[in-house]
Amino acid sequence: MSIELSDTELVLQIGSGDRDAEAELFRRMAPRIRLYGLRHLRDEAAADDLTQMVLMTTIEALRARRLREPEKLANFVLGTCRMTVLDLRRGAQRKERILERFGADLAKPPAMSTPDLDHDQLARCVQNLRERERTVIVMSFFDEQTGADVAGFLGISETNLRVIRHRAIHELRNCMETTV
Amino acid sequence: MSTPIGGGTLKCARPIDPAMLADYWIGFMAGPEEEAIEKHLFECDYCGHRLRRVIVLADGIRKLALEGSLRMVVSDVFLQRAAEAGLAIREYNIQAGGSIECTVTAEDEILIGRVAANLSGTKRVDICICNENGVEQLRLQDIPVHSGRTSVAFQESITFAKSAPSMRMVMRLVGFDDKGSEQVLGEYTFNHTRSMPGPGAW
Repeated sequence: MSIELSDTELVLQIGSGDRDAEAELFRRMAPRIRLYGLRHLRDEAAADDLTQMVLMTTIEALRARRLREPEKLANFVLGTCRMTVLDLRRGAQRKERILERFGADLAKPPAMSTPDLDHDQLARCVQNLRERERTVIVMSFFDEQTGADVAGFLGISETNLRVIRHRAIHELRNCMETTV
Repeated sequence: MSTPIGGGTLKCARPIDPAMLADYWIGFMAGPEEEAIEKHLFECDYCGHRLRRVIVLADGIRKLALEGSLRMVVSDVFLQRAAEAGLAIREYNIQAGGSIECTVTAEDEILIGRVAANLSGTKRVDICICNENGVEQLRLQDIPVHSGRTSVAFQESITFAKSAPSMRMVMRLVGFDDKGSEQVLGEYTFNHTRSMPGPGAW
């Protein structure tokens, strides 16, 4: 299976029963779905579950040729992610139904490559930030408070907060990259 | 840095700014903006890989915060979350002009000095860390406080505190008014007694 297949070609081949195309769909979409899951579910295992469920739902739809605009595969998968997350939040019914239907066919999503991070260097870079930037960065990533909460603590507007946060992230990235 | 996995584009004509990806990751983004980012991420593995780098950075910052090794001003919510995470917090409260006996044990994970001050009318506040003679050694400029607050919670590096010998440290809060004039808002003396095995002096 060539990875050069377009989304449209992939959809058509899956519709014609090509199992290799299904494997390519899995390889192509699993990392994207997993990132979506991490963002919205904040849990690795839940993100893995989401990936399996969305891929099975997608393959089911493609096998049945229900995707009328094959070029919109990415949109379809994204939409399925959104609906599945809503379902997961409502309860586990959909998950159980899909697992029951596909059972042993479910494969574990592939491990994602994880960029390395020099922890000591990060500590130096964070400590070198301006005081406000350091506090904003830590409050944002550690506390995961809302923008309004962080802005309220600092006595600044949310717009100003965003400027400080963006500047800090750029400085951190520059600091990390120049020392690698 | 690892190569992106998955099919699709390995380059991007309009890569998403990492700061925007960070906003997306921490949920500081309005609906339509978030939807546009997600649509892009479902078509672009290059930006997906950049998002993974942001996630790794965010995780690294979380770990740093949990280590208690950053010298910084913190919020009450930060301390609340740290306590919820099971971290052992040692906090000393001190009034302007006061002094306090303090220490740190092997079990402590976060060390806070909460200093009281009247910050009204100040445009900017610096923290000055001084030696026992009051000579300034380090200045943290423009700390994140605003004039409505009556105290500042300062986190001292737990790593530093655990390795420090018995010593006296003087902290000053210095305020600046509209004209840039500097005035001392409060001076605080921490008499640190080492309670862990280790050196008696630097």
